[in-house]
Amino acid sequence: MAQSSNPNEKKVSARVAVVAAGVVSPLGVGLTETVDSLRKARDCVTRVTRFSVAQCRCKTAGQVPDDRLLAGKEEGRRGHRLHRASHMMIQAFKEVLTQEPQFKPELTVIGTTSGGMSYGEHYYRSLRRAEELRHAPTWIANYPAQKPVIDAEEAVGISAPCQVIANACASGTNAIGHAFECVRSGRYRRILAGGYDAVSEMVFVGFDSLQASTPEKCRPFDRHRTGMVLGEGAAILALENLELAQERGAPVLAEIIGYGISTDNFHITQPNPSGVGPRQAMERALQSAQVSANEVDYINAHGTATVFNDAAEGKAISGLFNGVPVSSTKSMMGHSLGAAGAVEAIFCLLALQHQFLPSNINFTASDDDLDLNIVANETRPTVLRIVLSNSFGFGGTNASILMRSFKA
Amino acid sequence: MSLAIAGMGWVTPLGSGVDSVWERLLYGDEASATTISEEFNDRSYNVFRVPESVLKGAAHPRLRRASAISRFAAAAGLDALNAAGLKLDSQNVERTALIFAISNGGVIYTKRFYRDIVNEGAQSASPLLFPETVFNAPASHLAAILGISGATYTLVGDGAVGLLAIKMAEDLMANEALDHCLVVGTEEIDWLLCDAYQRWRLLCRAPPIEPFGKHKRGMILSEGAGAILLARLPRRSAAEAGEGSFTIECAHPGGYFSRRAEAEETLKRILRDLDQGEIDLVIASANGTFVDQAECGALRAVVPNAFVYTAKPALGESVGAAGLWQIILAAQALRSAELPPVLHAGSAVSLRLPLSRTPIARARHAIVLSCGLNQQAAGLRLAIR
Repeated sequence: MAQSSNPNEKKVSARVAVVAAGVVSPLGVGLTETVDSLRKARDCVTRVTRFSVAQCRCKTAGQVPDDRLLAGKEEGRRGHRLHRASHMMIQAFKEVLTQEPQFKPELTVIGTTSGGMSYGEHYYRSLRRAEELRHAPTWIANYPAQKPVIDAEEAVGISAPCQVIANACASGTNAIGHAFECVRSGRYRRILAGGYDAVSEMVFVGFDSLQASTPEKCRPFDRHRTGMVLGEGAAILALENLELAQERGAPVLAEIIGYGISTDNFHITQPNPSGVGPRQAMERALQSAQVSANEVDYINAHGTATVFNDAAEGKAISGLFNGVPVSSTKSMMGHSLGAAGAVEAIFCLLALQHQFLPSNINFTASDDDLDLNIVANETRPTVLRIVLSNSFGFGGTNASILMRSFKA
Repeated sequence: MSLAIAGMGWVTPLGSGVDSVWERLLYGDEASATTISEEFNDRSYNVFRVPESVLKGAAHPRLRRASAISRFAAAAGLDALNAAGLKLDSQNVERTALIFAISNGGVIYTKRFYRDIVNEGAQSASPLLFPETVFNAPASHLAAILGISGATYTLVGDGAVGLLAIKMAEDLMANEALDHCLVVGTEEIDWLLCDAYQRWRLLCRAPPIEPFGKHKRGMILSEGAGAILLARLPRRSAAEAGEGSFTIECAHPGGYFSRRAEAEETLKRILRDLDQGEIDLVIASANGTFVDQAECGALRAVVPNAFVYTAKPALGESVGAAGLWQIILAAQALRSAELPPVLHAGSAVSLRLPLSRTPIARARHAIVLSCGLNQQAAGLRLAIR
């Protein structure tokens, strides 16, 4: 077996390196396009075209253009049948393995909320209309949440076991956090971790029905915020025991140094207004990293732009930190659900590498009830050493990770 | 790292309660099939459902609007805690994690939510139903009932997901901040799932499920939940654990197969990793589909002398709950030192199947093997002291 199963194994506390990363999001395909969009604070939210939104309040989402995905499609019939989530995952995996061809993961941990949901929708609609169901076996085969992960592994020629975490909108951060703990404990040497989700009608309408999504611009932490917009994407980080990575001469892009998870049992869709759940997750991440709140230079907030979520998170941040710069990059690309934590971890990685603060766009006015130092509308150059990324989800699940720039 | 099984809970079409379901299996009972009909045509399917009486008294305000999948899970999870005599209070709740194994999730509410959208438009979508469609809704309900405020995870996959959840628990409990991990696998039935598996040619029209048969007649879907409370063994070796206690000696990280024809090789790899030359029995996942052939080939090659048992002819294929059910079966077999009969198996099968109630007095080690229907496979090794 790949990982250690020695019952007498010593308690290890290894440092955990990020040695490669891959991303597909509305901000771009690949790290280069993504950092360019981040620097320019691009608004990548567009009108939804994939399904009808005529009866929805919200009409927009952050979408990965089809032609960008088509460019990455595998040749032949098999590629044609894959779900777009698989195509996003394949591209993210390929970017990672192009950077680090020698990276042999022992495990893949991926977050998602919806798997191949749009194929489930096709299937149901066709059944209802008693239409041609010739494609039904393909839709059914490509619906399960693990399928895009297996497709991506096959596409790059790896065969690591996969764990698919579905902790709602915290899934991506949970996946990275759990993978981090697995490497840090010494039980694994190398893990691919990340998340994916593709926009689907059912989920889009679901958030609309909750009146969580907005017909206007997504304005996290703004006094006039009116809700979220959805997004999509896939992002993968290659995590490795730092010592082993250095031994084999792998580039270390950054370190993951802490992870916190909490569950607040307040309500299935709403956070406890006190902010206790997010606060616990951030505190636990700090404790896990053995750093103080003062050492954190930037927070990539969950920041969905709903009134209640931002209020709870803002309260937790201002209660724990003192004036640290905060932004929600969901303002640029929407909320990509299970992918969000992973995509935002890559934004943090790029911020650390290029030493800038990603922007919280569409910001018009501070909320008097939130004492936050928002990185409003423009990217700012700065010196960054430690950054924190938050993700919170339905079911009261909260997750935070801490990353640190690496100097050999 | 070895983990002890401190308590188990079981909700099945043969009723609930570990001892009572086990007794029925020993007597060769099988669940009664009921019929479930499609919404858009006159097609119907046989399924094994959890009797309504099982969930009586399992009411909790948090479950008022919850789907069957969450109710099954809550009942099994609470049973496992009761069996272990563990009351979660402010002291130990912080040191307890919760992991859910889910396959199809809350399919009943998901379908109902989407049906409203399709039939009447987005404006009719129910904000009450939507949160219940999310994969982690059952976990969030049980976490709220138990007051768990730390690590809660929902793992999604095919029939192997239950064993993968145990593996995740093993990894989580490497963190010494945890003393217990409650792992719950759960599944609910809907006609939509029957239609989907039928189109995939994995379903048989009517019982019985014929495991390891020449003709892959297919499976019958079932529902319910299984729960296992894992405890960190004290700071002493697993060998010093109390007499009659169970340990999960090794949970395999699993693997995947690209094509069904490759499943056997994946299972062989897992069995070889788990086999330490003293495996007395294997609880298999054979369910009347391609899985049987793959398992048969792997078992014959790696552990030809072990007894092989599958409960799927009696209980059906419960997908997300199946892995947890298999572990409960393994633990019960080792504890009671006997195996129930494998129902409806052909006598010509070249495996050591107990075709009648069979004593296994000296059995100490078991492998639980799972080959999922959607490319995943997993296994673990269990021992009784």
